[in-house]
Amino acid sequence: MRPFGYTSAHSVAQALAGGGAGTAYLAGGTTLVDLMKLEVMTPRQVVEINRLPLRGVHVDRDGLHVGALERMSEVAEHPLVTGGYPMLAQALLRSASPQLRNMASIGGNLLQRVRCGYFRDTGTGCNKRRPGSGCPAIGGENRGHAILGTSDSCVATHPSDLAVALVALDARVRLVGRGGTRDVRLADFYLLPGDTPDREHDLRPGELVTRVTVPPLPWARRSGYLKIRDRQSYEFALASAAVALDLRDGVVRDVRVAVGGVGTRPWRLPAVEDALRGGAARPEVFEAAAELAVQGARPLAHNRFKMTLVRRTIVRALTNLVESL
Amino acid sequence: MSGAARTVSVNRVDGRLKVTGGARYAADQPVERLAHGYLLLSTVARGTIRAMDVAAAEASPGVLAVYTPFHPLPLVGTGTPFSVGHSWLPLQDAELRWHGQAIGLVVAETFEQARDAAALVTADYEVRPAAISFADGIAGATDPGPITGEPARLEFLADGVGSIDEALAASEVTISGTYQQPGKHHSAMEPHSCVAVWQDGALTLHTGTQSASLTVGAMAAALGVEAARVRVVSPHVGGGFGNKIATWAHPLLAAAAARTLGRPVKVVLTREQTFTITGNRSAVRQTVRLGARRDGTLVALKHQVWASQSASGGIFEGSAHATSRYLYKTENLHLDQKIVTLDVPPPTWMRAPGQESGSFAVETALDELAAELRMDPVELRLRNYATVYPGRNVPWSSKHLDECYRVGARRFGWARRNPTPGAVVRGEWLVGMGMATANYPGERFPASVTVRFQPDGDVSVASATADLGTGMWTVLAVLGAEALGLPVSRIRSDLGDSSLAANIGSFGSASTASTGPAVAAAAEAATNALITLAVTDERSPLHGLPAADVRYDRGDLVAPDRRIGFPELLRAVGSPGVEATGSAGPGPEHRQHAFTSFAAHFCEVRVNRWTGEPRLHRMTTVVDGGRIINAKTARSQIIGGVIFGIGHALLEGAVVEPETGRIANANFADYLLPVNADIPPIDVHFLDHPDLLFNPLGARGIGELGTVGVAAAIGNAVYNATGRRIRELPITLDKLLD
Repeated sequence: MRPFGYTSAHSVAQALAGGGAGTAYLAGGTTLVDLMKLEVMTPRQVVEINRLPLRGVHVDRDGLHVGALERMSEVAEHPLVTGGYPMLAQALLRSASPQLRNMASIGGNLLQRVRCGYFRDTGTGCNKRRPGSGCPAIGGENRGHAILGTSDSCVATHPSDLAVALVALDARVRLVGRGGTRDVRLADFYLLPGDTPDREHDLRPGELVTRVTVPPLPWARRSGYLKIRDRQSYEFALASAAVALDLRDGVVRDVRVAVGGVGTRPWRLPAVEDALRGGAARPEVFEAAAELAVQGARPLAHNRFKMTLVRRTIVRALTNLVESL
Repeated sequence: MSGAARTVSVNRVDGRLKVTGGARYAADQPVERLAHGYLLLSTVARGTIRAMDVAAAEASPGVLAVYTPFHPLPLVGTGTPFSVGHSWLPLQDAELRWHGQAIGLVVAETFEQARDAAALVTADYEVRPAAISFADGIAGATDPGPITGEPARLEFLADGVGSIDEALAASEVTISGTYQQPGKHHSAMEPHSCVAVWQDGALTLHTGTQSASLTVGAMAAALGVEAARVRVVSPHVGGGFGNKIATWAHPLLAAAAARTLGRPVKVVLTREQTFTITGNRSAVRQTVRLGARRDGTLVALKHQVWASQSASGGIFEGSAHATSRYLYKTENLHLDQKIVTLDVPPPTWMRAPGQESGSFAVETALDELAAELRMDPVELRLRNYATVYPGRNVPWSSKHLDECYRVGARRFGWARRNPTPGAVVRGEWLVGMGMATANYPGERFPASVTVRFQPDGDVSVASATADLGTGMWTVLAVLGAEALGLPVSRIRSDLGDSSLAANIGSFGSASTASTGPAVAAAAEAATNALITLAVTDERSPLHGLPAADVRYDRGDLVAPDRRIGFPELLRAVGSPGVEATGSAGPGPEHRQHAFTSFAAHFCEVRVNRWTGEPRLHRMTTVVDGGRIINAKTARSQIIGGVIFGIGHALLEGAVVEPETGRIANANFADYLLPVNADIPPIDVHFLDHPDLLFNPLGARGIGELGTVGVAAAIGNAVYNATGRRIRELPITLDKLLD
């Protein structure tokens, strides 16, 4: 770990005053401290923000608002979340471990760095960590890597489960900087790697994520998050699906589908949604629609199975949801 | 002590220490003026280091020294043949032998300073092509030396049969399968660590080790000092699994640095470093061909093995010799072992070395034969049950594997198994049942124990053995209590120190079997010494009696008209304690019998019909291990062994990059071990057949047995659930998708 300056902020204004290039905000620290120990992240200055008033979970006519400093475990158990948006609660509960969920903040979860082994090993190249140093994952070990949204510079999978569910729900994040406040759709917030994989999101230097807002969607009460992985806890997704269904008389009136574990960012599937809308809520119909999930996918040497797995994950998630209704 | 001895069920005597954090592991030793070392590792697999730039590191705050091949620490020789885990000593030359080998040691005032400085060191390599790929190396595989005392190519053929292939060709039914598994890592919870302290030319090394005495030998030889001037202290070991038998680079460098600097030095490996500085299990490919008659009688068994080995030495998997060698009765048997030598970290013993891999192959092949014959897998095994050790024509001392099968089948509900693959569906899950056999040889080594009667009324029972979390602290207390007729609470166990009574340590599932008889011998010797004291010391109330008139009974000395407790005697004569050392070891019994522990596993697996995840649903394991000393710790040990096997079956495997030799998953987020959520209820049952031909205790080993056969049992259940035969471990969902 490299030496760094450390301050605590007591207000958003104070935090923003200390923010900027070379500075990292510290909330739960479950990603930042880990990566600082590995010298993958080497901020000169760390501003601790846990006392900022960015807490609370509440609903108004604009939807569900979650403060960026709420802990994952608190949000996962909140009645407004478990009742109105089960997929959010499930995505959170299937993330990490209880200890990590007790520490990690919602804002930090959305900004967590990728789990690619080359990104985390300073003994290897990585375009995300050191632009221009190459991507050893493309010709190396890539079983867990992405098949969607990849580039010749980076194939790292976006790691957040929560972000997948939020993208399915059309959530927005509020970003506050010295220049003002702006709301950005989470789906637009995350950037494709292209040839600048070091730029992961539309967060300007010194900006803070202050809250997440999920628009009203009454039928999201019928939603779920299915996460497929090798072991049953404490592992990132090989594939996941966040799905919500608005069913009437066995027909899909509306649907949301986003997938994780397969994309370089949380991957909403509008083509799959379109194919499902108006159709019967039956596995064979789901299977036909899920074929569209892997349009444009670029599998690598070790992750070709995700082409099949992600489609099955969608079908299973939808089928489970129908059966639970 | 005799077969009348009971099995008890007591809590760990060290349990409170462990759960309160009071147990001091090697890295917990409080030592004054302690300096901290951090290893530097190579980032190429083969070549030569041209130069290393250590200037920035040496100038870094708190740094005391940076040792490299260009500024080496003095080390000599390689010790006894297997006490150092590889064939070379660190920093003595600039050669690179694998990715992640030790190429330097930074010593600083704090761990953080040493680690920070280590990040500033750069190395200039002359890189040479390395042999990394196991698959590519198969074609160039070579013959190893003998395996467990027998030739690597071993064959028994029936009269008139020209070759194993001829026997297979003549069989009514044959099956053939190739089985593969990646290299694996022990992943003990306690990472390897050591604290080296020199005083007056003598070394005390605190390190978690399975064998204090072998570590003494390695350290003494490498440091060029007499073994009598090395003491190894290791009271608690946070898991060994075979990887804490050999001595690795870090204690050698720590001790050499401590000697040079004149200060104690501690080195704790990071988790990533444990993957390449210490040992691993070979990658293994096996081919098994079985020939049988329609009635299930096995006629021919051919088992070929290719195991990875390091160009720097180590121990490879002797898979066929450890399993097919004696598991079944067959007229024609052919074993052939080859090694694939690579520029990789050295393999070492890993829980059930040979049995774990061999059982995956042969026990899966048996299941394939059962399916081919449409015969129940248990029935097939009973039909080919061996009562005589093949080729040696000696019977087993005590073999009740058939009872394991029958009891296990009943407890598990095996009769409900549908033999048709893919026929049982529960919701979105395909359900299957599978079983397999486990075997592990009954091993026994010479051991000594010291029993000491103390004036405070306690009795110490001490030996230089190790407790790896396995329960040896408790077993010593239980056996001491039994031998002396005292409650367990009055026995003070002591172990994990090379200065105690001689003991090779804890491995080969032999600790209890080796040390137990010595406890009895020491107890007898110590009670005799107590009687001698009682009748010879003038201050003793029993002074002057013939020794033959005094006997020991549950802590008392009993004469025809008197009875005196030993604490009272010791106080009366002013003795600080009476002790004696007793020894025991194997005798000629190996010539008349074969000794093996057996078990049978039964399991139910569910595989998701959409996404293919294999999930273990329940498991039953029935064990024939002779007498069980402490049922509670024994059950824990079997459960631990089974979980070890579950990891091997479903999750674990080193991912070695064929181009670089880098282990891509050298951390616990990417090298997957089972978590609690993966482990279903495990029903463990012990048969009660003390093996008194093996040792007077009647106890064989069980530490490794639980792991053997688990992967086959799970794979066989996956086949029953899905109709898909997965012959490559780990059995992950990608292998089960269409």
